[in-house]
This record gives sequence, structure tokens and C-alpha cells, in this order.
Amino acid sequence: MSTLTHKLRRVFVWELPVRAYHWLNVLAIVALCVTGYLIGNPPGIMSQSEASHRYLFGTIRFIHFVAAYVFFFNFVFRIYWGFVGNKYANWKNFVPTNRKFFKEMWQVISIDIFLKKNREHISVGHNALAGFIYFFTFIAFLVQCITGFALYADMSHWWFADAFIWVSGIFGDNFGLRNWHHATMWFFILFAIVHVYLVFYHDYVEGRGEISSMGGGWKFIEEEQFEKEHKED
Amino acid sequence: MTNHPTRRPTYYEELRGKGYSRRDFMKFCTTMAAYLGLQASGAAQIASALQKTPRIPVIWLHFQECTCCSESFIRSSHPIVADIIIDNISLDYTETLMAASGHQAEAAKAKTMKDYHGEYILCVEGSVPVANDGVYCCIGGKSAVDILQESAAGAKAILCWGSCACNGCVQSAKPNPTSATPIHKLVKGKPIIKVPGCPPIGEVMAGVLIHMITFGRLPELDRVGRPKAFYSKRVHDTCYRRPFYDAGLFVETFDDENAQKGYCLYKVGCKGPMTYNACGAMRWNNGTSYPIQSGHGCFGCSEENFWDNGPIYRQMANFPGFGIESNADKIGIIAAGVTAAGIAAHAVATNLRKKKLIHNLVEEGKEAEKEL
Amino acid sequence: MSQRIVIDPVTRIEGHLRIEAEIKDGKVVNAYSAGTMVRLLEEILRGRDPRDAWAFVGRVCGVCTSVHSLASCRTVEDALGIVIPPNAEMVRNIMFCTQYMHDHVVHFYHLHALDWVDLVSALKADPKKTSEIAQSISNWPKSSPGYFSDLQKRLTKFVESGQLGIFANGYWGHPAYKLPAEVNLIGVAHYLEALEWQKEIVKIHTIFGGKNPHPNYLVGGMACAIGLDDVSGINAERLAYVHQLLKDAKTFIEQVYIPDLLAVAPYYLDWGAIGGGLGSFMAYGDLPTNGYNDPSSFKFPSGVILNKDISKVHDVDLRNDSEVQEFVSRSWYDYEEGNDAGLHPWKGESKINYTGPKPPYDFLNVEEKYSYLKTPRWKGNAVEVGPLARVLIGYARGREDFKEVVDSTLAKLNVPVTALFSTLGRTAARGLETILISQWGLEFYDQLISNLRNGDTHMANMEKFNPARWEFTAQGVGHSEAPRGALAHWIVIEDKKIKNYQLVVPTTWNASPRDAQGNMSAYEAALVGTPIADPEQPVEILRTVHSFDPCLACAVH
Ligand code: HEM
Ligand code: HEM
Ligand code: NFV
Ligand code: SF4
Ligand code: SF4
Ligand code: F3S
Ligand SMILES: [Mg+2]
Repeated sequence: MSTLTHKLRRVFVWELPVRAYHWLNVLAIVALCVTGYLIGNPPGIMSQSEASHRYLFGTIRFIHFVAAYVFFFNFVFRIYWGFVGNKYANWKNFVPTNRKFFKEMWQVISIDIFLKKNREHISVGHNALAGFIYFFTFIAFLVQCITGFALYADMSHWWFADAFIWVSGIFGDNFGLRNWHHATMWFFILFAIVHVYLVFYHDYVEGRGEISSMGGGWKFIEEEQFEKEHKED
Repeated sequence: MTNHPTRRPTYYEELRGKGYSRRDFMKFCTTMAAYLGLQASGAAQIASALQKTPRIPVIWLHFQECTCCSESFIRSSHPIVADIIIDNISLDYTETLMAASGHQAEAAKAKTMKDYHGEYILCVEGSVPVANDGVYCCIGGKSAVDILQESAAGAKAILCWGSCACNGCVQSAKPNPTSATPIHKLVKGKPIIKVPGCPPIGEVMAGVLIHMITFGRLPELDRVGRPKAFYSKRVHDTCYRRPFYDAGLFVETFDDENAQKGYCLYKVGCKGPMTYNACGAMRWNNGTSYPIQSGHGCFGCSEENFWDNGPIYRQMANFPGFGIESNADKIGIIAAGVTAAGIAAHAVATNLRKKKLIHNLVEEGKEAEKEL
Repeated sequence: MSQRIVIDPVTRIEGHLRIEAEIKDGKVVNAYSAGTMVRLLEEILRGRDPRDAWAFVGRVCGVCTSVHSLASCRTVEDALGIVIPPNAEMVRNIMFCTQYMHDHVVHFYHLHALDWVDLVSALKADPKKTSEIAQSISNWPKSSPGYFSDLQKRLTKFVESGQLGIFANGYWGHPAYKLPAEVNLIGVAHYLEALEWQKEIVKIHTIFGGKNPHPNYLVGGMACAIGLDDVSGINAERLAYVHQLLKDAKTFIEQVYIPDLLAVAPYYLDWGAIGGGLGSFMAYGDLPTNGYNDPSSFKFPSGVILNKDISKVHDVDLRNDSEVQEFVSRSWYDYEEGNDAGLHPWKGESKINYTGPKPPYDFLNVEEKYSYLKTPRWKGNAVEVGPLARVLIGYARGREDFKEVVDSTLAKLNVPVTALFSTLGRTAARGLETILISQWGLEFYDQLISNLRNGDTHMANMEKFNPARWEFTAQGVGHSEAPRGALAHWIVIEDKKIKNYQLVVPTTWNASPRDAQGNMSAYEAALVGTPIADPEQPVEILRTVHSFDPCLACAVH
């Protein structure tokens, strides 16, 4: 029989816009990675059919560009929500602004990476380390959008895409631009692998309903932890 | 014989003097206007420009280069080069073609620089080595660096021919042992027009010159200083193999069945999607063909750094700092493998180290289950 | 006391050449030839993909464009053991012939002619008489009196404009110009016609290689896939275009270039005894008719002639490390084992060390190092390479085609065979080989067509294109006969990358500084003894130097 019985409180962490953003983002990123990879490494299709009867690569690229727009505006929306959403959505979760943030980061590292035992979980929304990593993720979003739209500027006549034309100057040429755009894809893939693992990990090790939280928005927080947070605020 | 008369004859007068009629002259202007993509009124504009201007003096310098830009220039079919140098410009200095050598050649240049200060067009073919006090390129005992500064001072505008002058080309590829430097990095405060390509298409070179002469002003330039008329589109956007690209039909290896059918060369390294040049639209040597039409991908010869964005036969460039066989995907796949291994190790370690904690949670849950 | 004169820049050449000459009693008694620009492409090639090398070295020169790419592909193919398909061999041969015809014609009219043709004197010509002369030497249609008088008007107007452009400050009126005004006028007419013609012939490169200058090559063959039933590949239309261009070129060579050469030569026969120089010659051979690995099938045979002895032709072995060697004792480089060593190119080094005067300078320090060219030697001998070498070696090897053009020309000019060892001989040899080339081009075309007719559509051998199929280390050498002479590249490949890449180029052989023993190379040797009427206007030096068709971008690379 276990020595400790947790009393859990239901906390509404992820508002609907955050959840919607999250899953739209996941969809867009998966689509962008798959189509992007194919753009960089097209499959060999030995076909006898006339070129005019097919538009496969055009379609792949079309999906990439549609997903790119979805991705971009979804991202812009998330930034906006970082200012108007609840405290778990707030931008302060991502940017280290005080010592507490760093302290918490260190705690997470010792618990999750060095696997220190007998330490208590501290966060309700994003833990500090996760938040900080998302910060880098957002930077990667930005890099990918900027490089992507700069590449797209050549094929677009919309002022919006054309506004990114200056970027290739920074890279010297489109070769560098494209190479970095391609390389950044791998950051997304690595992030996704680790992220999904950690979500399952936390769900398993902490038992707070981490996985489902991105579905319904609820997390289940220990009563003691809840009291502590409450006092601090 | 080399002193110019006080009133210089205009193009029109020269043409008339050579036995051309007024009608021939207007026909020439109309053709030129059509070539430059102008409305009908453009012809009149050209005609009036040509009737007023004497032949513009041009000094054409050669530094670190292979002379292919000069060679390309003389391949121009419209206008042909004999007509340009006899009727349109006064090519007062170019080591490749001028009759005089040695100090007579230098004197011809000096005279133009003096008599036409502020009026001549300076063309530069080649990059300038700045390492070691400029000793890696000397002409007449002077370093290219000094010659450039001296000749740029009185120039009305500077035309940079080819990738050498525009971005340093092959001699500036890593490790750039002579510090080969493009012109715009050395000359400030002068209008600079970049006509990149290794070499640029002859008709493009002639077209840029003719534009300046007929309109008396620079062609419209893009963000990096190239004439928009020839460099605003990627090779890929005007490539006749584009339908194959869109269809996903690619040459897999040279000389395969797909190559014989003229499929898209993307997978054998075509850099057309990253390269701004007029090859697809104008083609080479009076429209005869261009690299892609002749079965070889574009390798981006008009782009900055193209020599270091190789290898030529792979779509994706080597990733800087990771050696010759590296590209983003190879590095990415390795990183993904390492990550997966790390995760597996972490999962195992967690189950070992936090056995008790997890056990307790599970017990707690089972407890609750029993209670129900 | 001798007088020291400097010609820098030497113009109407490719690149940056400086000649310093000592003149005494109206003759050149000593000469120094220096290349004053360097790019160090051999250093830049290190660590790169061997399959890309052709593109890099192609940019060594845009005048003899394509020849380095060809040599490079052969070098890499040699290292990797690749044999290219017969179609590719023929396409390369046709492109080779194209390059020769272009390069030699442009050299004759645009780079060399003004040494012999007085532009200004052409203004005084009688158009009617000019037309008669023109019609007596050739069937070329553009030869009416009206044609010449229109041209003369155009010229007069041009000269009177006072803006002489590229013709300003020439040595017009110099006593060394001997042609009658009418022949001068023909020269000027054909200067302009050749300028128009040359842009046509290169279209063969554009068809097979996508562009000119700098057409594309491919290790393993050529990229221009055959697609007889497709609009994109090499099909009947493309081939017919090539055929037409080859025929037109042959006509121009037969009706303009060669008649002009033979019309000018009689006025300058004294130049059949000036500018001979070394008297030793070398060619590597080229234009395989049965594959590159069968040298006996080459249209241009290889060999070495020493000291004007055409009764004996020595064989050349590019792999033998005691045959071709490069020295830097008078060049601005350092060798690791000391500056008197001679290195075979597989072990070659290109470490720059400029020790000349700081610019601006008046004179080079010719007693020490004075050029960016290395000094190549064959078994220690200085040799001349180029058209004269090729023609003499073909002649000395007893090849009928060579004998025919050489003997008939000597007979026409009524000069002995020894007149070939001269400035005039060099310029004539260039024309003679162009006749052969213009015929061979059509032969190669026929060979290509008969291959295609037999159903062979291969243009590239891609078996070993993938680096996964390469040995860890490999080394190769590939050679060609560039328009200016024997050309070879050497490569060492390690771990799929270029470990060392060395070019030894025709103009390096000819224009190099002396060796450690003080022996001159071809330019310097040829200049010694040249008469100079007026040291202020040394057109005679230009004649001899131009007869080699200098290319300094090639020579230094
Ligand atoms: C998660 C985000 C994204 C990923 C993982 C991604 C991935 C990729 C990859 C791998 C490529 C192939 C590059 C190559 O040729 O090697 C590519 C191409 C491209 N991407 Fe993205 N991309 C993303 C977002 C975007 C965005 C936001 C845009 C904005 C429009 C964009 C526009 C483009 C364009 C224009 C190309 C070139 C397509 C072509 O030339 O046909 N991408 N992308
Ligand atoms: C089975 C799949 C996934 C589940 C269950 C899941 C779940 C979650 C959860 C629970 C959070 C909040 C927890 C925390 O802050 O640590 C979160 C945040 C986030 N996830 Fe996922 N995720 C999944 C896949 C992905 C994928 C593939 C991506 C993109 C590559 C992604 C990107 C993000 C981002 C950017 C955030 C920060 C959200 C914010 O703006 O606040 N997720 N995810
Ligand atoms: N020398 C030389 Fe070249 C030639 N012909 C090359 O190999 O000129 Ni540019
Ligand atoms: S740009 Fe290329 S082609 Fe032109 S001179 Fe330079 S190397 Fe030669
Ligand atoms: S061949 Fe090159 S430029 Fe043409 S469509 Fe394919 S990738 Fe684009
Ligand atoms: S290699 Fe250069 S010639 Fe045109 S097709 Fe590409 S820009
Ligand atoms: Mg060398």
C-alpha cells in the first residue's frame, strides 16, 4: 500500500484557442516536413505518362505553400494570444524574466534529466525548461517563415511574400537560403521526437493527464502543489 | 589623329556618313526599341538620343579573369559587336582587342580618362586581388587595385562584367588565396551595374550597354544591382522543362531514358530554382540553346558563391563546416538517430532510477481502483 | 650599351604578359617574359569533388574555352578507369574542332593581323583594284568594288571622327608594314567579317554543351543525351544544325582565312628567318578516332623533336616522373624540398611566394624570380608547343595529310622547309592545321551519324559516377592538344576528394621564365635576334610574341 495519496485538483490550463493552435500547428508542421523533404529529395517516378497529365510535384509544392500560410498565420495568432490569453498561455512562460524561472529550469533538469529522486513537481502549465525550449522553437518558426517566404517571394506576386525579398541578401544568394531552410526542418523533426516523448514521459511519470490536457484543456494538479502556487501568486 | 574634334559627330551623322539612309536609321531604332521591350514611342526616343550623342568612350579593364566575358561579348548577335564598337561606343581601351601595346596602350587610356573625365563608362572584367599589396595582378607595373581606383575616379558609371567582377567568381572560391575581391567592395560613390554570369550571355552584355547609350541612363536595377531586364527571373521560372518538374518527372542519372526524353534535371543537381539569369528566356548564342536544353543542369553561374555551393551534381549543397559528403539530410538523419537512442536510454534509466516513484503512483491508482 | 624596353601590357592576347627586352644595334639581344597575374586555381581545387573539376578548370580560360574541361574529364576518367562511349568521343572531337576553328581564326584576324596590316593605309586603297585582288585569290562572294568602297567610306568616317577606339595609338605607318594598301583593305574587311563569323561557329558548342564560352562537359561522356525522337535531346534538327555550321566554317576557312594568309605571307618572307627560337618541339597528340585509349588512332600524333632534327621523333610518357617536370627557380613559388627541384605534376606544389618589386615598379628584377609561370621541362629540355609543333610532328611522323598541306604551301610560297622554324612558320602552321581540322570535323560528324544509324544512342558511361564505387586513392593524367599546344592535367584523388590537381599548360611551356641553368623557354628564345627598327614602337616584338598566340590566364592559372 502506498504511503501517500494524492488529492488532485482539476485545473483548466489550455484554453480552446491554445489547443486549436496546437493541433493546427502539428498538422501544418507534419505537412511541411513531409512535403519539404520531398521537395529536397524528390522520389524517382519512372512513368510513361505525358507530363501534361500529371502535376505531382506541383501538388506537393502547393501543399507546402498552403501549409506554410496556415503555419504562419497560426503562429502569428499564438503570439497575439501570448498577450491576451490566460497565464499559462502568457509570453512570460517562454522568456526567462526572473531568477525563479532559472531556478525552476534547473529543478526540471535535475528531475527529468539527471533523474534526481524525491523531488516535487513544481509547475502547472509549461515547466520552465519546456517554456524555454518553446522559445527556441518559436525562433525556429520565425527562421523558417522568413527563409520560406524569401524563397517563395520569387514565385509570388503578393506583396506579403515579396516583402521578404531582402532575406536572400543576408545569405548571399538563394543557395544558402535554401540550405538553411532545409536544415532547419531537422530542428522541427528533432523537436517533435523529443517533445512527444516527453509528453508521454510526463504523463507516465507524473500521472497528471498531460497527454489529454491538449485535448480537453484540463490538467490534474496535486492539492499541496496547488496550495503552494496559490500562495506564491 | 587621336585628338577629337571640338564638335563630336553624333551616331546619326556617322550612320549617314556611312551611307545609311534616314529610313535605315529609323528602322534600326525601331528594332532596338522592340528588343528593349519599349512601346512605339520608344523608337523616337532612341532616334533622338542617337542624333544628339557622340560615341561614348568606354574603358574596359581586365584583372583576374579568363577573358570569357570579352569572348561572350563578341558573340553578341544583336547588335553585332563590329557595329557596337564602330558605331555606338568608342572602345578606347581593352587589352584583348586594342592595336596599341605597352605604353602606347596606357597613353590611350590616360587620354580618355583626361579628355572625358566624368563621361566615360568603365567596364571591368575580372576581380581584384587585394592580398599582399595587390601584387597578384599587375599591369604596366601597377597593381590592379590602384588601376581600378584611378580609372573609377572619372567614370560616369561602372559596368561589372561577369561573375568575376560581380562576386569574385572561381578565384574567390575557398580558400580565396589571393583575396580576389569584386568591384563593388572596392569602389564607392559610383553607379555600379552588375552583369553576372560565367560568362554573361553576349546579347545581355550588349543589351545593357545599348540601354545606357540610347537612354543616357542606367537600366533599372534589382536589389543587388543587376539590370532587372535580364536578372529578375530564375532560370527555373522560364525553363521549358518546368512541366516535367511540376509533374515530378526527373532525370535520375545522365544518359538514362529520362534524360533522352528531356525530363527535368533537378535530381542531377540543377540549380535553376536558385539562379537568376536570362538563360531560359533568351538562351545562348543568339537563342541556340542553353545548358538545360543541352542536358546539363544549371549550376548557378550567375549567383554569388556558386563555386562553394557545390557539389554540382547534387541538388542540396554541402553543409558548411561538415566536409564534402555532408548535407543537411545526412546530418539530420544522424542527429535523429542519436536522439532516438538518447530517448531509449532515458526511458530505460527512468524506469530504473524512478522505479519506486512510479511504483507508488501505480499503487496509488490500483488502490483507488480497489476502493471503487 | 644595350637599351632596356618594357612592353606591358602586351595586348591582343589573353591575360597579363610583360616583356622586358634588351636591344642593341637594332636587335633584341636578351628577353624576359613574365606573367603578372595569378589566381591559384590549383590550390582552390583541393578538397573538392573530382567530378566538378572540369567546371573549375574550364574557367582557367575563356579564349581556349572548353579545352581544360576536356582535359579535366579525361584526367578524372583516367583516375577512375572510365571509358566513354564512342558517341561522346565524337561529340568531344567535334567540339574540339569547333574550338580550333574559332580560336585560330580569331587569333589571325583580331589578335595577330594588326601586326601585319596597316589599318590607316587601307584608307588609300583603290576599291576596284582591291576587288580584283580579292577575286584573284578566292571565290568568296563579298568582293565587289562597291563592297570595298562602302567599307572604305565607313572606315574613313570612323577615322575622321577622331575617336579611333581600339585602333588608337597603333603603330600605323611604321616601316615594318609592307602590304600594299589594297591588301590592307582586304585585311580590314575580313577583320570585320571574321568578327561576325566567329559567333556562328561556336553554336556547335551551344548545341552540345549548352553555351559558349564555357560549354558544359561531364565526367563519363557528355550530358547532351541523344533523343532522336524527342524535341529535347540531340535529334535530327540539332545534328543538321551542327552539320551546316561545320560546312559553313570550312567554307570560310578555305575561302577567307587561308587565301588571306597566303596573300600576306609573300610580303613578309623575311619573317621566315626570324623568331625561330628553340627548335625543339613537343605534342601530346589528340583527336581519337578509335577511343582515347588508342593513341595510334589520333589525328594529331604525339612526340618530341629536338634541335630541329625532324628525322627523329621521340615518344612522350606523361606518367614517367622524369619526363615532364616543373621548376620554380625563377618563378614566384616555393617548393618544399628547395627551389631547384623539378617536380613531376603528381607531386606538384603551388605555394605562392612573391619576391618581386612592390608595385608600382618600372622593371622586374630579372636576375632573380620574375614570373608567376612555372618553368616546365621535358627530360630537362625546353620545348615549344603549339601549331608549329603539331604540324612538324605530323610531318616528321610521315603522315600523308600533314605532308600534303605543308609541302603544297611551301611550294606555293617557294620557301624551304626550314622557313617553318620562324615567326612566319608558326603563323602559317596555325592556318595549315586549321585546314585539316575543318576537314576532320566533318569526318567526325559522319562517324557520329553512322554510330547513331547503327542504333548506339549512348552518350555517357555513368557506371562509376557514384563516388561509392571509387577506390580510396587514385591518380590520373589526361591530355589534349589545346590550340596553343600540349596540355595535360594530373590528379590525385584521396577519400573521394581532390588531394592534388596540377595543370601544365601550353603557354606555360612557351612563355615561362628561364630554368635554373639559365636556359630560355620558347618566347624568350624566339625574341633573341629580332630586328627592331624603332625601340619606341617595337611592333616586331609583338609579331613574334603574337605568333605564339599567348594565353597568360592559361599559363599561370
Ligand atoms: C515547419 C516549417 C517548414 C519546414 C519544415 C519546411 C521544409 C522545407 C524543406 C525541407 C524544403 C526543401 C528545401 C530544399 O530544396 O532542399 C522546403 C522548401 C520550401 N519551403 Fe519550406 N518548410 C517550412 C516552412 C515554410 C514556410 C513557412 C514557407 C513560406 C512560404 C516555406 C516555403 C518554402 C519554399 C518556397 C520552398 C522551395 C520550394 C521550391 O522551390 O519548389 N516553407 N521547405
Ligand atoms: C501526440 C502528439 C502531441 C501531444 C500529445 C502534445 C501535447 C502537448 C502538450 C501537453 C503541451 C503542453 C505541455 C508543455 O508545455 O510541456 C504541448 C505544447 C506544445 N506542443 Fe505539443 N503535443 C504533441 C505533438 C506536437 C508536435 C508534433 C509539435 C510540433 C512539432 C508540438 C508542438 C508543441 C508546441 C509548440 C507547444 C507549446 C504550446 C504553446 O504554445 O503553449 N506538439 N504539446
Ligand atoms: N595556353 C593555353 Fe590555353 C590554349 N590553347 C590552354 O590549355 O589558351 Ni587560353
Ligand atoms: S566570370 Fe567566369 S567567364 Fe567571366 S572572366 Fe570570370 S571566370 Fe571567366
Ligand atoms: S531543369 Fe532545372 S530549371 Fe528546369 S525545371 Fe528542372 S529544376 Fe527547374
Ligand atoms: S549555369 Fe549559368 S549559363 Fe545559365 S543555365 Fe545556369 S545560369
Ligand atoms: Mg600548374
